Amino acid sequence: MQLLGVDVGGTFTDLVLTDPDSGSVHVHKVPTSGDDPSGGVMQGVAELCEMAGVEPGAVSYIFHGTTTATNAMLEHQGAEVGLITTEGFRDILHIARHQRPQNYSIMQEIPWQDRALVKRRHRKVVPERVKPPRGEVLTPLDEDAVRQVTRELKAAGVDSIAVCFLFSYLNPEHEERAREIVGEEFPEAFVTTSSSIFPQFREFERFTTAAINAFVGPRVGRYVRNLRTGLKESGVLADVHIMRSNGGVSPSEVAAEQPVTLLLSGPAAGVQGGAWAGGLSGHEKLITFDVGGTSADIGIVTERGFTEAGARDTWIAGFPVMVPMINISTIGAGGGSIAYVDEGGAFRVGPRSAGAVPGPACYGHGGTEPTVTDAHAVLGRLDPENFLGGNMQLYPERAAGAVGNLASKLGMSDQEAAAGIITILNNNMANATHSVTTQKGHDPREFSLIAFGGAGPLHAVEVARILGVREVIIPAYPGINSAIGLLTTDLKYDAIATQFTLSTDPNLERLNEDTARLREEVHSQLRADGIAEEDISILRSVDCRYVGQGYELRVAMPEGEIGEQNIDEVWERMHDLHRSEYGHAFPENPIELVNLRVSGMGQTPKITGVPLSGERSIENARLKEQDVYFQSNGTLESLPTAFYDRDGLPVGEAFEGPAIIFQGDTTTVLPPDTSATLDENGNLIVELREV
Amino acid sequence: MNVGNRETRMDPVTAQVIGGALESIAIEMGHKLARMSYSSIIRESEDFGAALLDTRGRQLCESVDSTPLQLGPIPGYMRGIFRIMEERGEEFSPGDVIMHNSPYHGASHGPDVGFCVPVFYKDDLIGFSFTTAHHLDIGALHPGSTGIVDAVDAYAEGLQFKALKVYEAGRKNEAVWRILWDNIRAPEMVVGDMEAQIAACRLGAERFVELAEKYGMEQVNAASEELMDYSERMLRSRISELQDGTYRAEGFIDGFVDSPNEYEKDLKISVSLTIDGSDISVDFTGTAAQVDLPINMPFEGTVDIAVYLTIRSILLDSALIEYVPQNDGLTRPVHITSPKGTLTNPSFPAPTIARFCPGNIVADTVMRALSEVAPRNVSAGVGNLKVAAYSGLKGENYWVYMDITEGSYGGRYGKDGMDAVDTLFANTRNNPAEDIESHYPLRVERYELREDAGGPGKWRGGVGSIREISFLEGGRFCIEGDGHRFAPWGIFGGEEGTPGDLILNPGTSREEHLPSKIPDRRTTTGDTVRTVSPCGGGYGDPLERDPERVLDDVLDGFVFMQNARDQYGVVLTDGDVDRQATENLRSEIRKGRQ
Repeated sequence: MQLLGVDVGGTFTDLVLTDPDSGSVHVHKVPTSGDDPSGGVMQGVAELCEMAGVEPGAVSYIFHGTTTATNAMLEHQGAEVGLITTEGFRDILHIARHQRPQNYSIMQEIPWQDRALVKRRHRKVVPERVKPPRGEVLTPLDEDAVRQVTRELKAAGVDSIAVCFLFSYLNPEHEERAREIVGEEFPEAFVTTSSSIFPQFREFERFTTAAINAFVGPRVGRYVRNLRTGLKESGVLADVHIMRSNGGVSPSEVAAEQPVTLLLSGPAAGVQGGAWAGGLSGHEKLITFDVGGTSADIGIVTERGFTEAGARDTWIAGFPVMVPMINISTIGAGGGSIAYVDEGGAFRVGPRSAGAVPGPACYGHGGTEPTVTDAHAVLGRLDPENFLGGNMQLYPERAAGAVGNLASKLGMSDQEAAAGIITILNNNMANATHSVTTQKGHDPREFSLIAFGGAGPLHAVEVARILGVREVIIPAYPGINSAIGLLTTDLKYDAIATQFTLSTDPNLERLNEDTARLREEVHSQLRADGIAEEDISILRSVDCRYVGQGYELRVAMPEGEIGEQNIDEVWERMHDLHRSEYGHAFPENPIELVNLRVSGMGQTPKITGVPLSGERSIENARLKEQDVYFQSNGTLESLPTAFYDRDGLPVGEAFEGPAIIFQGDTTTVLPPDTSATLDENGNLIVELREV
Repeated sequence: MNVGNRETRMDPVTAQVIGGALESIAIEMGHKLARMSYSSIIRESEDFGAALLDTRGRQLCESVDSTPLQLGPIPGYMRGIFRIMEERGEEFSPGDVIMHNSPYHGASHGPDVGFCVPVFYKDDLIGFSFTTAHHLDIGALHPGSTGIVDAVDAYAEGLQFKALKVYEAGRKNEAVWRILWDNIRAPEMVVGDMEAQIAACRLGAERFVELAEKYGMEQVNAASEELMDYSERMLRSRISELQDGTYRAEGFIDGFVDSPNEYEKDLKISVSLTIDGSDISVDFTGTAAQVDLPINMPFEGTVDIAVYLTIRSILLDSALIEYVPQNDGLTRPVHITSPKGTLTNPSFPAPTIARFCPGNIVADTVMRALSEVAPRNVSAGVGNLKVAAYSGLKGENYWVYMDITEGSYGGRYGKDGMDAVDTLFANTRNNPAEDIESHYPLRVERYELREDAGGPGKWRGGVGSIREISFLEGGRFCIEGDGHRFAPWGIFGGEEGTPGDLILNPGTSREEHLPSKIPDRRTTTGDTVRTVSPCGGGYGDPLERDPERVLDDVLDGFVFMQNARDQYGVVLTDGDVDRQATENLRSEIRKGRQ
């Protein structure tokens, strides 16, 4: 069996082909093709299959990570969207939460006003109203009005329609009926209802999530169709599965109906790849540390797998998104981040980046501003002979020039300024890590940090030192970690039903009924995807809060039917979780069970490991020794440092830092007071000693 | 700027590192406070603040995503606490938690209760961890803590806490908590929110100690000094770019339009703003005398904050330049004076609880004064908002819901005004209709934008909202608002915006237009309150507005067809701009003006 993982990023399309039975792994990287990324995918697949000597028709599964939905949002290039909403509430998408994005700014932009997903002229209202607590109908849906506004929207040239009614999370009937009518009047339109995307309260956030789905839907649909057709034409017959923001995959047709679930497709695959590689070496608690040219994505994996972000903490292009997303903290910090002194005299690094063009000064593509990569070059950590497998030219003198200008403004030596750039960046990344660890009740010192992306391994050990993390893992292929992550996941569907029931008098009948219903929903979807019964597993949880609070915590549900006894377990778990998240619990207070969640997982074949080959010994790996600058005991020192070629490192033989390890797609920096060992799974394990 | 010549106390790298760590602590405090709290005014509207202060009470960092009007006053609360404790000869001990809300001792107003935890490291006081939050009820004469517009003095506004130790050296002061339970409506909500505030303060204190352990207090203090100096330098460098001179502006607040007393309506706010090198002085001489109604503004806690925050939002606009940390440094170049006994510097016990809307006018008038020297950084006149308390009884217990509506900004250089947002010195959030109706016997009937009402201009004024809430059972409401009498000002040829309104039972035989301030009004089932917020003023001559943008506005219902002609001189035929006819009409209108 052959499994193919394809991750399309902004610059490169990464591909991995593996046979889980023989353990063979082949990797490839091609430039992402601009307008229609499916072209680059086709080229990459053809080349990789040829390299591996595998017939395209022999590929059984394709797992795909895509930025199409993300780019549609970031570039604001989406469909012309029409909105059909409850009378009296035409402008919910425009007023939002009436909060300005920035506290201290007169000239700021407001994304939902200046870059509206739905122009006001396309926001139509119809009489209808359902009400809490159970979604009773207050005003019946005016079906003629729905028909009328649909015709108006069609005539106005929209190609996608979002149907968003108040309280539809309690009763979706009006939205569903409106969807039918739109389908009759305007069958070509891409239709989204807010309750089918995320049936939860808070109208602005739910409507916006539906509007995003409507906005990116047609573009994602076209992309997926092109991709499927193109792959078929190149002889690849397997179905395409797409990675979603929740960390699971779904068949491409399903994904195309809910494209709003694809916004973190690539980063979610990255966390999965990190979790898989760490798992090979027996590590369950991991901070995943993915650093590229412009940004760092930091995720967290615990014994219970990756964590999901709170629904209120997920944003894309300035808009809130309420669908389940893997918890990732992103900051503008990467190899291309520019260092400068601002007019108040502060020394800053990022978030502005030199990007791919012009890139760092030392790449010689015309960049003149000092970047993080230039700082590494000045400190002697990048070797022109071995940089990225020797495939990339490096001009250290240009790095020295760029950093030198900054150093003279700061009254420092070039090396001090370069070390300062790295220190500031590392601390910014450590602060971003706190938002997924300490701020969520996780002690980072209990975790290992697994680093990937082109720049992750350059910074990982020093960031670990700041966080008090004692072990760092560099996987075998840090540069294509997301593509590998695609080959490690399961099919996953999430379903949700609002409950609003109290611990003082819980409605267990409804809870059990809804559980059974949602279970059947995800189960039948998995069966429809061809998953065998024994490969299906179902996870159930509930969102709880103390009565009156506005934020919920996710609590796992006990097994089986919920009765008087085991419901108490839910309440106990809620108190415990509140204590660990906030350092405080209110055991006397009644609890409100807000949502029931059911996730269905269908197992798919996975990558089994990465083979190590070749003649391996420390002597073979050792390239040379050279002076490199490190911060040691608070002072900057030039230390003799060993340079190694990762492909020659022997298994199980420790070596000491300071050292620099080169490989085709990244460079690992080992500061003093560390030692590293390559383990039999291809992971480089770095131990940090107490200092 | 030549940074090398500047005398620095510490290396810039460590300064950045400690600055980032401090901010991360304040954000975590705010995040936890929002998530643990009970009332929608904190968890949904985010009307709270969190900060760390040094031993002198100077603010080091703040929870950057909560509202400025809670964050800004924190150092003033601290100064008030210092003053009172010194008078009483009290000292800070480890384990203390201090509660404070006296508007004559730095608090912004009574309902914004501050909690302070002194932070100790190795037996030394190293600073303070502080949170503020708006509480639903504080025992004033009417249910709720907003719209108490008939309070005659500070005593009628509710309980006054003057640097009270609610925990003393770790021991809970039970008597104080019993007084709270017995004198506050909806105490389970309010006390729950207070406990959340204390938990957030304690978390901040813990993190502060961890920072001290990691870097040593000498480094932390040096970094703090550097951060404050940095913010000061940034503001000074902006001020020095402005032409020296004195710039004046006047603003007016409705006051109490139904009052028989002339001196209680159409009240003037007078601003003289002097730029002298890198300093700005703001003098309120000429402002109306204080009144026996609660629209007086605490000089420290409201007036100073309105001035500081407006100046920084204009001169250090975070959309245009680097983010400059909000700390003590930003207050140093700004000097504020106001004669005693005026609206902007009242004498005790003048009531102040409804100071929010007049404070917005102070901010708006300061912006107007700056418009002459910073024309590309200001907006035209800003529309004020309304804050309402809806309440009723369930058996013997009160339910109280506090609703913050929105204002709108005037047009800006190159941009239309922001529509339906919180304004200037505040930045709260609304409460979703789906949350309100799930918790209170209220129904939101309408929440939309106003049409055809933004001040005409080359860049149009932003539009306000229309919000309608009806009672599903009898109860009461009170409202503090402003902006019914005076439209937001236009600028540089832009026209003024549109005032707001407040209508009880609109479209029925019982329809009634109400003034902007309504103390305690009883309601019966079905009564509906419609708030209409003002629309911002226009910026620049409307005849210079791009006709395509006028067309867009017509299509989107922001400008009606007739006004495209009358206000903008744009002729639309068959859904398109008639360029020739538009040019002709515009030159005709121009001639008519001469």
